[in-house]
Amino acid sequence: MDLAFTPEELKFRDEIRDWVKGALPKAISDKVHQAQRLTRDDMQTWAKILGKKGWLGYGWPAQFGGPGWTAVQKHLFEEELAMAGAPRIVPFGPVMVAPVIMAYGNKEQQERFLPGIASGEVWWSQGYSEPGSGSDLASVRTKAEKKGDKYIVNGQKTWTTLGQYGEWMFNLVRTSNEGKPQTGISFLLIDMKSPGVSVRPIKLLDGEVEVNDVFFDNVEVPVENLIGEENKGWTYAKHLLSHERTNIADVNRAKRELERLKRIAKAEGVYDDQRFRDQIALLEIDVVALEMLVLRVLSAEKSGKNSLDIAGLLKIKGSEIQQRYTELMMLAAGPYSLPFIEEAMNAGWQGDQAAAAGLQGFPGGDVANATLAPSYFNYRKTTIYGGSNEVQRNIVAQTVLG
Amino acid sequence: MDFDFSDDQQALREAVAKWVEKSYDFERRQQIVKSGGFDRAVYNELAELGLTGIYVSEEYGGMGMGPVEAMVVLEELGRGIVTEPLAQAFVTSAVIQTYGSDEVKQQWLPKIASGEALVVLAQQERKARHQLGVCEAKAAKSGDGYALTALKNIVPAGDQADAFVVPAMLDGKLALFIVERAAKGVSTRGYLTQAESRAADVKLDNAPAQLITTDGLTALNFAVDVGIACVCAEGVGAMDQTLKLTTDYMNQRKQFGVTIATFQALRHRVADMKMQLELARSMSYYATLKLGAPEAERRQALSRAKVQLGNSMRFVGQQSVQLHGGIGVTDEYAGSHYFKVLTQLEMTYGDTLHHLGEVSQRMTETAGVFA
Repeated sequence: MDLAFTPEELKFRDEIRDWVKGALPKAISDKVHQAQRLTRDDMQTWAKILGKKGWLGYGWPAQFGGPGWTAVQKHLFEEELAMAGAPRIVPFGPVMVAPVIMAYGNKEQQERFLPGIASGEVWWSQGYSEPGSGSDLASVRTKAEKKGDKYIVNGQKTWTTLGQYGEWMFNLVRTSNEGKPQTGISFLLIDMKSPGVSVRPIKLLDGEVEVNDVFFDNVEVPVENLIGEENKGWTYAKHLLSHERTNIADVNRAKRELERLKRIAKAEGVYDDQRFRDQIALLEIDVVALEMLVLRVLSAEKSGKNSLDIAGLLKIKGSEIQQRYTELMMLAAGPYSLPFIEEAMNAGWQGDQAAAAGLQGFPGGDVANATLAPSYFNYRKTTIYGGSNEVQRNIVAQTVLG
Repeated sequence: MDFDFSDDQQALREAVAKWVEKSYDFERRQQIVKSGGFDRAVYNELAELGLTGIYVSEEYGGMGMGPVEAMVVLEELGRGIVTEPLAQAFVTSAVIQTYGSDEVKQQWLPKIASGEALVVLAQQERKARHQLGVCEAKAAKSGDGYALTALKNIVPAGDQADAFVVPAMLDGKLALFIVERAAKGVSTRGYLTQAESRAADVKLDNAPAQLITTDGLTALNFAVDVGIACVCAEGVGAMDQTLKLTTDYMNQRKQFGVTIATFQALRHRVADMKMQLELARSMSYYATLKLGAPEAERRQALSRAKVQLGNSMRFVGQQSVQLHGGIGVTDEYAGSHYFKVLTQLEMTYGDTLHHLGEVSQRMTETAGVFA
């Protein structure tokens, strides 16, 4: 037992730190540190920088052109990026669909799709949820009927994150109604420029468009876009979801946001209010405990010991922590989180500019408050997506109670 | 970064687990409780297994092991809610080994390691609550040694121990001493605690004492941090067993024609218990692995861990009682005794609110496992 990273791991961390310092555009990291709006360009710019370095697919094995890092190296990489204020890697391509293509796709599919994912050129979206299929994912109804060398796809996906930018989409579609719901599902890649695909943005409670409805109206999809075997899609989807859950703990971002919370609390004058400060302390303990939990999972991966019975806890705790820091940030600002100043969500806006224009600037030094309530509202999603926390509790209970 | 146990540590765990299973079943425990909550024969059995010498270096007749081995052992004793305070051997041998003179080490460490002497920490005073710097006990020079006058409360196995490690004020500064129970001027009043272990008030009236260190507050902070790591480990063991008792019960108890393990409202509570247990286990590892860190970092870490353990132990204990229903509040069922142990551990070496205050005061701009 040893808490410390090895000298090699620390050297690796320092290399990543140095590289990020030089490679991450300040205009982007400033936005991230202030929780301001990121444009498609911001996200793509960063993805391509990583892609050029060969690190967008940082979890990929060497045989597919990835760096072939250990679980610990991947964790350290994520941590350095998060702490430096890098945008989250949009996961749908490199983190979600790529491992499925590697594990179950054929050689042609791998050669066709992986390079565009690795470079950050192609924007992927996820087509899992449907209006009638949320946590109960196996009930998907979007239908794919095989006609000759094509599937004809009809139906609707929803909650498609950043789908307004999507170029390709991986989908769970129903190819059979026989047997259990899980057995008739296939994993299909769809070009979103195909005739019959339409995307309708959904405005969320924070005023932002983050998710979309995607409609399929007699969309023709070549059969070579099917991953693996027909009706085996559920197996592939489960493979993907296991990747999504460890990612979702996001403890490194929580550490960064805890630092931001402390800055906001200081600027708002509540850091020395013992009642408020104790709430930050409780969150700090939660974050440390989550980090230890993550490190235990990594250690188990490193030594090949089974870690499955605690991995399910990461999503629950990680999402609760995310909600808590956004909540405390908003509460720190109190009534000064209430004005809804649209333009303050964008980079370049500063309270003092507004003041110069004869408007009241936001108090709080260089900490803008305009994003705090929207972030709080937006983060209610975290305990709902990726398998709601209640579904996660069912899974945890299953491992404990049988 | 590695949380695997070595083969030796695994073997140690199995040896202790086997002893608990064979020699310390619930019936024996309750017999001990009836006769006062402490059995020296049990303590001697632990000593025969070599456990009393885990923290003591080989030079002084110990095993020369460390906090990780201590944690492994205490997890297993916690699993069996063993009342005999082996943790005290770890606390007092650690502080003597780190801060004592050669002479003090030579005199006490071999006896602690062999089990010949049970030495316990006697720090609790009525007015201090959890503040280690608040101390009314007084020490004065007396011939070649010192004389102590003090009243210490809730001293583990205080009327059974052979000697006490006692903080007292010497020339306006906290110092740490050893006082033998058999010495002149020492009187004790023993009692059972709520969790059925043994404790006592210890009164010192100009009792002869041996100095461990004049850097008393630093040494006492260290001793209590070792104690917190011990509490964490025992708590994890006790919670592990509590969860097991609970799930076993839920899988056999039937209501409305089905086992109660089928009810989702109850299953979600079990998931939440598992969460609290694993967060606590994580923070127990953290506490143990931070014992060797520089003082400020160590104290911050141990306080963080104690808050997590305190909250986890309360939650797991309360939920377990609720999930058992009526049987959970009976004396004859082992589960209620686990609940009482978990409750007592929360209040040992600083309760949850005290340590939350410590974490709160020690917060810096950055935070994490390594900061």
